[in-house]
Amino acid sequence: MDTILLYPVFIPLAVGFVLLFLPRRATPLFKAVTLVVSLLAFVCSVLILSRGEGSYHWSILELGAFRLDLLLSAAPLGSFILMFAMGFGVLITLYSLNSRAPIARSNEYYGSILLTIGGAAGILLSNHLLFLLIFWEIVTASLYILISTGGKSSNFAATKSFAMIGVSDAGFLLGVGIVWTLAGTFVISDISVATTSALPIIAFLLLMLAAITKAGAMPLHTWVPAGGEYAPTSVMALLPAALDKLLGIYLLVLIVKSLFTLDPNGPLTTVLAVIGAATIVIAVMIAMVQHNLKKLLSYHAVSQVGYMILGIATLTPVGIAGGVFHMLNNAIYKCCLFLCGGAVEEATGTADLERLGGLGAKMPLTFISCLIAALSISGIPPLNGFASKWMVYQGVVQMGQTQSSAGAGLWPVWLVAAMFGSALTLASFVKILHSVFLSRSPDALRDVKEVPWAQTLPMLVLACLCVVFGVFYEGPLRWFIFPALGITDGPAIFIGSWNSILATVLLLIGVGVGVGVLWIAAFAKKVRIVPTWTCGEIQRNDDMIIPGTHFYKTISSMGGLKQMYGGQERGYFDLYNQGGRVGLVLTGMLRWLHTGVLPMYLTWVTLGLLVVLLCLVAGIW
Amino acid sequence: MNIPLPMFVVVPLVAAFVLPAFGRRLKPLATLIANLVTLFLLVLAVASVGTPAVYEVGGWSIPLGINMVLDGLSSLLLLAISVVSAAAMLFSARYMEQYTAKPKYLSLFLLMVAGMNGVVLSGDIFNLYVFLEIASIASYALVGFGCEHEELEASFKYMVLGSIASAFILFGVALVYANTGSLNMAYIADAIGRMGTNVGLTLALSLFIAGFGLKAALVPFHAWLPDAHPSAPAPISAMLSGVLIKALGVYALARLIFNLFGVSVALGWLLVGLGLASMIAGGLLAIGQWDFKRLLAYSSISQIGYVILGLGLGALLMAQNANPAWAALAILGGLFHLANHAVYKSLLFLTSGSVELATGTREMRKMGGLGDRMPVTRAACAVASASIAGVPPFPGFWSKLILVIAAVQAGFYWIAVAIVAVAVCTLIMYLKVHRYVFLGELPPDLQTVRENKGSILFAMAGLTCVCALMGLLVLVPSLRSSVLDPAVSVLTDGVQSSTHLMSP
Amino acid sequence: MAYTLCFLLFMIGLYCAVVKKNMVKIVLGIMIMEYAVNLFLIMLGYFHDGVAPIIDRSEFDAQTQTVTAQFLNSSVDPLPQALVLTSIVISLGSLALLISICIRTYEKYGTFDITEIRRLRG
Repeated sequence: MDTILLYPVFIPLAVGFVLLFLPRRATPLFKAVTLVVSLLAFVCSVLILSRGEGSYHWSILELGAFRLDLLLSAAPLGSFILMFAMGFGVLITLYSLNSRAPIARSNEYYGSILLTIGGAAGILLSNHLLFLLIFWEIVTASLYILISTGGKSSNFAATKSFAMIGVSDAGFLLGVGIVWTLAGTFVISDISVATTSALPIIAFLLLMLAAITKAGAMPLHTWVPAGGEYAPTSVMALLPAALDKLLGIYLLVLIVKSLFTLDPNGPLTTVLAVIGAATIVIAVMIAMVQHNLKKLLSYHAVSQVGYMILGIATLTPVGIAGGVFHMLNNAIYKCCLFLCGGAVEEATGTADLERLGGLGAKMPLTFISCLIAALSISGIPPLNGFASKWMVYQGVVQMGQTQSSAGAGLWPVWLVAAMFGSALTLASFVKILHSVFLSRSPDALRDVKEVPWAQTLPMLVLACLCVVFGVFYEGPLRWFIFPALGITDGPAIFIGSWNSILATVLLLIGVGVGVGVLWIAAFAKKVRIVPTWTCGEIQRNDDMIIPGTHFYKTISSMGGLKQMYGGQERGYFDLYNQGGRVGLVLTGMLRWLHTGVLPMYLTWVTLGLLVVLLCLVAGIW
Repeated sequence: MNIPLPMFVVVPLVAAFVLPAFGRRLKPLATLIANLVTLFLLVLAVASVGTPAVYEVGGWSIPLGINMVLDGLSSLLLLAISVVSAAAMLFSARYMEQYTAKPKYLSLFLLMVAGMNGVVLSGDIFNLYVFLEIASIASYALVGFGCEHEELEASFKYMVLGSIASAFILFGVALVYANTGSLNMAYIADAIGRMGTNVGLTLALSLFIAGFGLKAALVPFHAWLPDAHPSAPAPISAMLSGVLIKALGVYALARLIFNLFGVSVALGWLLVGLGLASMIAGGLLAIGQWDFKRLLAYSSISQIGYVILGLGLGALLMAQNANPAWAALAILGGLFHLANHAVYKSLLFLTSGSVELATGTREMRKMGGLGDRMPVTRAACAVASASIAGVPPFPGFWSKLILVIAAVQAGFYWIAVAIVAVAVCTLIMYLKVHRYVFLGELPPDLQTVRENKGSILFAMAGLTCVCALMGLLVLVPSLRSSVLDPAVSVLTDGVQSSTHLMSP
Repeated sequence: MAYTLCFLLFMIGLYCAVVKKNMVKIVLGIMIMEYAVNLFLIMLGYFHDGVAPIIDRSEFDAQTQTVTAQFLNSSVDPLPQALVLTSIVISLGSLALLISICIRTYEKYGTFDITEIRRLRG
């Protein structure tokens, strides 16, 4: 009985629930309480990880065969992700403490941050499927509250998120029910269902849908960009960018590795691989043409999930480890990117790429952290994004070599999709870096200042982590990920070798040589800098800006792609919109029947009586 | 403690006849008395939990006399009725100030409460009919209380359909008497058990199902509900949706089917079919509504469908001689959902009343951003919506979970799919409510909106606390074994639970 | 035979309530249904040549406090009569309310045609 397992779950949940209903005047109190509780949860999570295995059991409900136990246990995978999740919680709390933008409903904001932290801890520690589901929905509901604390139109985004995740949660509940009838228990560590007949496959697909919707993969991904556009930045950094990914991928690994025994040669891995590859490419294609910084980042948040799913779909040790490592890395750099985006928005008052520019000199710390994170997400060695993508690529190759399913036969397709996606990611971050930090600064942004330390600190910490996890990638793998997944460590699991420290040293030497050359050149000849001569005509500064928004216009106006982009803009491929339309038609038909004419209602009653009579008479004979 | 059962009926009935005599001057006193009566009934109902009792009216023992029976099922319903009526009465204290003739309103309200209490306590079917008519007639009058176009229209339609249902039920009672020679439930159950069923009884049963089904607003007998519930004053809507359709419809139906006629496979499927039709049609219809209260009314149809589905599943499993624990789980889910729905739907109607009082409209497209102006109303609505949409740890989640588990346990996966799909519909409709009413921008003409004060807030806050804590009813073993388990066993014991009352 | 006629009367009332558009006729239809049921209840207790179930002193044995068997066999069942009395009172109340709402509705809408009174729909 390890009661320490209860603390990171129930203290934040209880405190958060109370905060929700307090009057919103006491904002400083909320801040202090949230910081203390999130730190406490973090400390607990570190202790849990360092103590290793442990469990807590409390039998709550027993109705026949249906048993509900509060069963928490510190499994290796869960407790390792827990530490990082709680760490992100602390960083986000820190970031929102000093935020200059007023938070409209601070009681709900801080309350639901704590609910999210507690719910996430519950998901990661729970060893009982129903409790996992309960905590899962608590996180969903608090995401709704968090998004709705944003500004205008956030009610729309919040509704969309809750509706879409709610659909997948309903599927989750159904899947849990089916798994229970198949396995006879809710205890996760006791379940292992073979996916050979229809029912387990349906259950697998339902649980998978829940996992990938939370993580933000296609086809139910559209809540992420909607939220990204309207929600407060810190919310996006905490949930869709970091925590929801951790939770969704945690559940996916749990499903694939523990709840179900997947046949490597069966069709299910192909389904996963298709989802992964499609998510990578399509989301990044959409991201490239976005004009809103936060929306662009959100589409990348969708795209990166594809790598994790693809890695897990390979079912090879290196692939799964790569997927989990990518989840961690993505949480780090995506969180950093969202925080940078938020800092830019806060400093300038806009997230529209066309109205930004030249902030590199004005916000150097933001620029440096954004640069590192952007390079990392694009998979530039030796940063962390490269290390995990490299493992995913190896997993895909290994899948092609060792497995015989249709999906394994198509491994070159997955590999190309993944690499292509990586290239496009780089392309779209070139656009961001150019239009936000490098190009000429518009007049409106002349007085922009760097954001305060409480906001730069989380960004810098995350940027440093990007470098550390990239250069010394073997550390996290060896300490956390391999033990968590039960993979025996050794060089054998890697096909290609990659010595990051040597590469880093060489890169640094290269950079040093380049800087030296510049320095020497500067000495060799003094350069005279004069304004550009424009035939005497005076050019307004704002006219001389080359915005990055038009970088990839050629792609979006190509035949075929143009129509696709148009349809995407209008929401034709959005299951939320299409589902809404179907619902409206059904409702419309039913409402049309209710004409308000009394004789019609009376006819229904009479016919209903006749039907009841017929049923009963038929039942007797 | 032994409770004198007629108190449940006599106290509100006497108050109902006394109150109209109070004039304009004594209005506060009348309000106070009415509130005290409902509070007294609440105390009485809580005290009566766990003490099954039989009261023989006038000292005449059955089958000669009339008896009142308090068993597990009745006490669950009594609790629901008294909790909701206490909250609605408290809400009315301030809310009904906008209407004239408040003492008449209070009198009708108490008459309705007396009728409902009588229905759930009655031990013979003719008295059940009489009390049902008392409650129904009071509710017809209350629906038309505003005397405007829509109120009168709704009241007339409700009354026509309700009277036809009453005629069905009376006809059924007559047929049962013709075939069994008794009106007492115990003796009827015994007679039917001995002689089996025949054409007359089958006709009676289908008349009962249609009649009580109409009172419970099951599809296709539901058409009056979306007109009547929104048109009534908000506390009355809360009473109608919260308890009236349950006491008059679901309770009577369950009592007759399980304890008098006995379950059969055909009956089980019929109930499952009615439940599914109500769930799906009600859910889809609610999503398209823009009138706040009309949306809630359609959602009531959908939620009653859950209750009937749970009971029907239980009946089906009992008739198929499946594992008794499976049937008990389904019935537990249904009854727990009934109790939950009583609380959260009445709370939702109260919040809609609070919003209507503050803004003067029920049209959701004309609202927005009220959350900042009316924090208590919003919090109450949020708790109730989370509960009805099935967000854990609120009680609606547990009842739906139990229903899903009961369905998959029995192998009816498609029923589980329907339950979950309608839960998603419910979630979406309440997201719509919050999106248009409480979130977003405050429209220009509502800039001066203020939160309501006084008894309105107390009623909502009290019911919110009850709603948030309802989950304990199933999670805490001692509460479950004193409230829900006896109610479930009344139904799972089938005709046994009636016939044991027969005099030796 | 008598039962069939009651049933027929019930059906006529139902038909009237379902088919007629005039509010007053609908009310009449409902009342016909209720009276058909009342008639049915009375018929249940009645049999040919039955006497009224009022105990005469000559039929009552004061010593044993019992009624003679001959009276029990020849009197009609009194219970349905009590039921019908109650039921008539209830239907009277419900009729009064129905009619008053009819009149108020007519004042508001200016018509008795129920198919034109349909503000509430959808």
